[in-house]
Amino acid sequence: MRETFEERKALRAWFAVPLLCVTASCITVKAPDKPIEINLNVKVQQEVVVRLQKDAQELIENNPELFPE
Amino acid sequence: MTRKTLFLTAALGTLAAGFILSGPARAQASVAQALSAGAAGEQSDGYLGVTGSASPAVRAEVEAINIKRRAAYTDLAAKRGVTVADVAAATGCQTLASRVKPGQVYRIGTGPWQTKGNDPIALPAYCATAGQ
Repeated sequence: MRETFEERKALRAWFAVPLLCVTASCITVKAPDKPIEINLNVKVQQEVVVRLQKDAQELIENNPELFPE
Repeated sequence: MTRKTLFLTAALGTLAAGFILSGPARAQASVAQALSAGAAGEQSDGYLGVTGSASPAVRAEVEAINIKRRAAYTDLAAKRGVTVADVAAATGCQTLASRVKPGQVYRIGTGPWQTKGNDPIALPAYCATAGQ
């Protein structure tokens, strides 16, 4: 029996359903509900403290009364 | 201002200066004793701390020194455009690396007081090259 045009159309639609589902699940990208945070505080503090070592050394030498031994 | 008030102001000023000048020397003597007795010690936060055995006098002197330290840190922080806590922490690295002597006590963060042995103190990671 030959399929009518209508039947063929229905069949095609039927096959398209699972295909769509698979594709949909593959490429779905959900936007995160929170903004993406990258915490650089630790590194920044480390760099600042390292940069200040020489200053700190001088501060100690120039204020011996504040740094009793 | 009359001559009398001027004289009085000058006299009071001299008196005050005398107190201020004699203060640090005395404070240093007993804080130095407290340091060697383990009643006070350096902290990684850049300030002096007291242990349970510190006398009220030592506590008061340590507090006075810390106030002056904070003032010095605040000056330097303003010059360098960093926070007071950063300057204080950097100074803490230096005191722990080179000023605490074996037998004296020190504290890192809010940790327990520890007595320095003959080995260098294990500094917090942010100190990086403080000991070199």
